[in-house]
Amino acid sequence: MVKHWWKALGVLIIIYTFIAGMLVPLRPGIVDVVPSSIRTGEEVKVEVKGYNSNFEKAQDSLRAWLKMDNDRALAASRIEVKNDQELTATFNVPEYLPINSKVKDFSVIIDNEIDGASVLPSGVFITQDSIDPEMGQAVWRNSKIDKLHDKEQVTFPFRNILSETIRNTYFHVPLWFAMVFIFLGGVIYSALYLRTNDPKFDDRAQALTSVGILYGILGLITGAIWAKNTWGAYWSWDVKQNMTAVALLIYAAYFILRASFEDPERTSRISAVYNLFAFAALIPLIYVIPRMTDSLHPGAGGNPAFGGEDLDNTMRMVFYPAIIGWTLIGLWIASLQYRTNRLRAKLLDIDSETSLQGAMLDRLK
Amino acid sequence: MRKLISVLTTTLLPLSALMAQDGGSDFMRSIGKIYVVVAVIIAIFVGIVLFLIYLDRKLTKLEDQINEHD
Repeated sequence: MVKHWWKALGVLIIIYTFIAGMLVPLRPGIVDVVPSSIRTGEEVKVEVKGYNSNFEKAQDSLRAWLKMDNDRALAASRIEVKNDQELTATFNVPEYLPINSKVKDFSVIIDNEIDGASVLPSGVFITQDSIDPEMGQAVWRNSKIDKLHDKEQVTFPFRNILSETIRNTYFHVPLWFAMVFIFLGGVIYSALYLRTNDPKFDDRAQALTSVGILYGILGLITGAIWAKNTWGAYWSWDVKQNMTAVALLIYAAYFILRASFEDPERTSRISAVYNLFAFAALIPLIYVIPRMTDSLHPGAGGNPAFGGEDLDNTMRMVFYPAIIGWTLIGLWIASLQYRTNRLRAKLLDIDSETSLQGAMLDRLK
Repeated sequence: MRKLISVLTTTLLPLSALMAQDGGSDFMRSIGKIYVVVAVIIAIFVGIVLFLIYLDRKLTKLEDQINEHD
């Protein structure tokens, strides 16, 4: 039992990530604002749809703004609450805006004491008929956005397109991280095989690489399901999708290579060399090329990788354990595969020995 | 391995076709798209189970060989 602690640890961590990843609620957010385009000089009623919000319960502390930039915002003159998820905010939009362009996007901000502040970036576009910044400055009645509340509960960030699918960060993304660790283990054993010629190392490399492929395929499938419902298509020919598919095809060739030689020693030697090549190709394919161009994935086109609202500290408490957990589970599956490989190698040895003995006996007769 | 890939594609492609239907996509996007997370978890589970089936078959073959020896 003592020997198996890491398997139990892996299972416990995965159970933890499932429970925490599914049960922690999302921070309240704004799903939709109607109308999304407004003309100046009107009194407009804006219908706001909230998510996980408590508009009715926190009616007394409700406030709403249209935020233009860091210094300037319009406060709602009246807020009518329909229910916890729906409210109508009335804004008096002045005749002119204090800016030099015809159209300006405003963020919608709702604040109350239960939900804290929620923002819908560029939720409303305001169009003015003629541009007059000075007049705009004169009629602008600014209201400061201050004394915003904080949500006290532990929550995951609310991101408009992602909504609940932000939880896939604990299921889809760790598979890729674990895949890289497992492939790394495989390539280390391949290198050890080339140094020592011990077939055990090649069996370990084969076992780890097959689990790596499994994780890669699962990563692509889970990514496709996620992409369908956020980016709109299973496959968007995004640079990261393409490059990971290429990397997996390179690894798939590793198994085709293994199946195409009769002599086990030759198989081990050639596939070990190929594994070094495959890993050397994997790193630029998934870590370098996707960051050089634009991509739908975060962490591309010069963006910092994960950060800010995509992965806050609460999410890190689930995300990092998930990587460790999936790596441990992967090692466990790989160890089963390795033991199967060893068993077969032993059987082959016995077979070849008995057939050798048989041949010698035949000759003696 | 080839068997595994063929099993994966034959089971998961119809599943994805099912989800691609119009009604399916409405369902997938209801309640803050939570069913997308459910589908992802199911996909991972199914994938791991298929890999276990593949390993199971391999071990059964070896057991048969051992039994032949005895």
